[in-house]
Amino acid sequence: MSANVTNADWAAVLSIAVLGATGLAVLVADLLARTFVRRYIAIAIAMIGIIAAGAIVFAQYGTHYSAFGGAFVVDYASVLFQGIVLLGALGSVILYGAIGEERRIAGALALMLWSACGAMLMSGAGNLMTIFLGLELLSLALYALCGIAERAGAHEAALKYLILSSTATGFLLYGMGLLFGATGSVALSALSNPALATNPIFWTGVGLFFVGIAFKLSLVPFHTWAPDVYEGAPLPVTAFMSVATKAGVLAVLVRVFLWSLPSQHVSDMLLPMWIVAGISMIVGNVGMLAQRDLKRMLAYSGIAQIGYILAALAGGSAEGFNAALYYFAAYSFMNLGAFAVAAMLSGDREEGSVIANYSGLGYRRPWAALAMTVFLLAMAGLPPTAGFLGKVFILRSSVETGYVWLAALLIVGTAISLYAYGRIVRAMYDRSTHPVPAAKPFVPLAALSAAICAIAVIALTFYPFSR
Amino acid sequence: MMLLLALLVPLAGAIACWALGPWLRNLAGWLATAAVGISFVATLLLWGAATQPGGVHLALFSWMSGFDFGLTLDPLSLLWALIITGVGFLIHLYSIGYMHGDRAFARFFAYMNFFIFAMMLLVLSDNWVGLLVGWGLVGLASYFLIGFWFERRSAVAAARKAFILNVIGDVGIMFAIFLIVANVHSIRFADTFAASATFGAPLLYAICAGLFIGAAAKSAQVPLHTWLPDAMEGPTPVSALIHAATMVTAGVYLVARCAPLWSHSPRAQMLVGTIGALTAIVGAILGTAQWDIKRILAYSTMSQIGYMIMGVGVGAYAGGVAHFFTHAFFKAQLFLASGLIIHALHNEQDVRKMGGLRARTPLAFWAILVGVLAICGIPGFSGFFSKDQIIQGVLENGHPWMYGVGLLTAGITAYYMFRLFFITFLGEYRGNVDPAQLGMAPEAVGAEVAHEPASTGSGEAHAPAWVMNLPVALLIVPSVLAGWLLFSTDGASSPWSRFFAAQFPTAAQASAAAVPEWATALIALGVVLAGIGVAVARYATRSAQANAVARLRDESLRMPKLLVNAFYVDTLIDGVFVRGARLLGSLFGRILDPHVIDGAVRGVAASAVGFGVLVRALQSGLVRAYALVIVLGVGCFLAYYVFGIPR
Repeated sequence: MSANVTNADWAAVLSIAVLGATGLAVLVADLLARTFVRRYIAIAIAMIGIIAAGAIVFAQYGTHYSAFGGAFVVDYASVLFQGIVLLGALGSVILYGAIGEERRIAGALALMLWSACGAMLMSGAGNLMTIFLGLELLSLALYALCGIAERAGAHEAALKYLILSSTATGFLLYGMGLLFGATGSVALSALSNPALATNPIFWTGVGLFFVGIAFKLSLVPFHTWAPDVYEGAPLPVTAFMSVATKAGVLAVLVRVFLWSLPSQHVSDMLLPMWIVAGISMIVGNVGMLAQRDLKRMLAYSGIAQIGYILAALAGGSAEGFNAALYYFAAYSFMNLGAFAVAAMLSGDREEGSVIANYSGLGYRRPWAALAMTVFLLAMAGLPPTAGFLGKVFILRSSVETGYVWLAALLIVGTAISLYAYGRIVRAMYDRSTHPVPAAKPFVPLAALSAAICAIAVIALTFYPFSR
Repeated sequence: MMLLLALLVPLAGAIACWALGPWLRNLAGWLATAAVGISFVATLLLWGAATQPGGVHLALFSWMSGFDFGLTLDPLSLLWALIITGVGFLIHLYSIGYMHGDRAFARFFAYMNFFIFAMMLLVLSDNWVGLLVGWGLVGLASYFLIGFWFERRSAVAAARKAFILNVIGDVGIMFAIFLIVANVHSIRFADTFAASATFGAPLLYAICAGLFIGAAAKSAQVPLHTWLPDAMEGPTPVSALIHAATMVTAGVYLVARCAPLWSHSPRAQMLVGTIGALTAIVGAILGTAQWDIKRILAYSTMSQIGYMIMGVGVGAYAGGVAHFFTHAFFKAQLFLASGLIIHALHNEQDVRKMGGLRARTPLAFWAILVGVLAICGIPGFSGFFSKDQIIQGVLENGHPWMYGVGLLTAGITAYYMFRLFFITFLGEYRGNVDPAQLGMAPEAVGAEVAHEPASTGSGEAHAPAWVMNLPVALLIVPSVLAGWLLFSTDGASSPWSRFFAAQFPTAAQASAAAVPEWATALIALGVVLAGIGVAVARYATRSAQANAVARLRDESLRMPKLLVNAFYVDTLIDGVFVRGARLLGSLFGRILDPHVIDGAVRGVAASAVGFGVLVRALQSGLVRAYALVIVLGVGCFLAYYVFGIPR
């Protein structure tokens, strides 16, 4: 790699630098501001930093260049994935306005911002080193974030996440090692050499790499950690994991598996991925059925939804990629929104994550219930939400590219999920039950987030962005 | 195809017994026995093809160049396969009676069938990787079966010890295989042997040493032998099949299989021969000091394998392999017959508590008598031919001191085997004598009571079913006759040497022996008779029988500490490896704060309440269960990516 680092190189990672610096600023501000508003000061600084980073990212929209000798890439995909990462960070940071111990907020925010830095690095990664760097930055901060709360469940989640995630990282790293061994280069562009299409070391490397990716995306059979970790982690962290983490990893998946592999035999090489996607749709949706914890349910929901997104990518067509991005954006809004509603209902003990507490909500908190209904309908893929349109796009793409069986599994999965989501909606408007959980009367930031997400989930239906 | 059948039917049997165990109940035993029988017949049908030059070869698949996986059946692997499935069949049949009423009846047969599969894989593979996989799997099966009665702390400890010592051996083998693959770029035996002439002496010695560490651990050679006596914690059929007839001879197989490597490295031959000779005599000496019938047999197994290793080590391949052949019969028979006694006496294993059992267990009496005559090498019985061939072979290959050790060991063997025989069957039944009067240590008494919980005895000696008697009776035939295959009037053209003519070309330097074969036989016979004489004088005379209780008490109390503690090798090995491994484990346990782990597990139990039925089984909340799922998933993935490559 050449030592000539130009201004353009720095411009490519400026947004990440801003985000990282914001994390420091939050910590410093927390030291200085020892008043009752310090929770809000910290959140405000974090939000300003995220929005600034977002502005920098979207200023690059339409440009296409690689920085640091190919280690980092700025293109359409990097901009959109980074945008979703920042969206996820924003939606999660805002939840700290509703829950979390005040003295720990600043640390959590800083860690979350740095974790987002990792995800953004992955979004634009141009070689294996950058991928690993981003992944570790993302994961290390997340381990700490999971365990930062006082609750016993949080410590358990953190330990579990650490152990299992390290296992997966080991596989990923081994895969990278084999890929490097087969190509002699860490650059993703080196992976497209046609001679590699029949190289066993290369194939094994691809397989191990995918194991690592599948774990981070919580695809079946590497999903087992997700429900426990989602349930145990603090609510904002769960929201962050469900969106920002997946955005970063998905970006890597697209760059490595869809855009870098040699075109010969690529469908053979990727077949296990689509099979895993199909299984994930079914297992995720079935797993949702008997859950009593909202975060746990959303973990299973996320398993299935990632399956949908992979199904969109299966054909490898540009249209499929757009469908995947669209659905992923919609998924981000609905998940963030659902977590925001949960935060609105939560006191010190995260009452909002207990599904039983939602019965009768339509009469106690009509607006929250309405927003939740929108999100659940979107997850189930019913009109008039972006979830519906996204699934239509995915189905069209799968059928056109010949993956009809994935489309069929998607429909089956959706049918199963209707029951799980519908169960909550029905409970919210059930007149017969009126338990009154302790909840804060009004939580401005979380409510704002829920409202924005609800509007976005519906509005996206009318503005299906495409390239 | 037939070869694949012979390999896979036991695996299918194992899976069926494991998966359908609760439904099969007692049928599981018959199913497993039938699976081994089918495997035996399939192997037998390949006899003709296997003895052709080149044998039977079945290419399964190849990964990258040099990584070709296949099966092969040549005279050497044919012999092993026939013993594994043939003796295995009889022992399975026996187990149906022996394990009757055990709570985990089906699980036992699943393990046994799995062992047969693993052992077949070991001997049928034509490449290092297949051998290594089989090697590891037989160790695993052995581990499961030693610890089969896991309610017993001693069984679990024995299983763990066997596992740890075998891991040492596995590391040695892996080391050797890495060296081979790095230098030959192929995993096939044939390529390795073809290239072995080009290896430098240090490389060849390193490879041979690595392989022999594995062989020594698996075949209980000094100083890695300590697990074998403890392995007698397993059910008696397991001792007969795995820890006498087949698995423990895997080391002999490995050395014989790698004959081309050894024959190029005299230093390695010296190493193997020395260790074998040492094991033979150490095992025999320790065998004289045991009271547990199965431990006596275990030490004799160790000693006899020492013979085999010594033989194949110095180049007397046909002799070493022949002793494996005859030993498999008479040792399996000895174990099964002792199982009859143990069964009849409600799990009594201490010979001091036996005595006068001839009338009570006549079949065991005759079977053990024949087995003892065979192992001692009385002319006409099988052991005579094979043992003499080894003793003569080491001399022909220029190792006179091993010749001496071999003869001496034969004498000691005769002594302790007849000691076993006399104490068990002569005199009065001592089962009702106070253990203290027999010189038994109080803690040993307590341990014996808990032995072999398989039995569902009703309080009186119960006659074993025919399934137990038949295999014992059948094994008497080859125990007597098998040796005659080695006999020839002109010394060269026996059926045995013709069978192995292509496998082991007669070494050039052989035949220049100082002592002719007939003289060796006479000397050996003299030594053996002397050993028997000592045993007769000590245990079989009229006065010895009359004062049996007092004499056994004297012997127990005066037993040299050195022998009771098995030369303290156990203490040493236990201190270094077993305790070392445990220390390492607890160290890790302390680093990963136990409270955190405990808390994790308990916390999850509470959260694991409301799960979907389908997902519940996998979602136990335990990190290790999740890790298992991940590993299985990775296995599926790798299988696809490693073997799915287009060509």
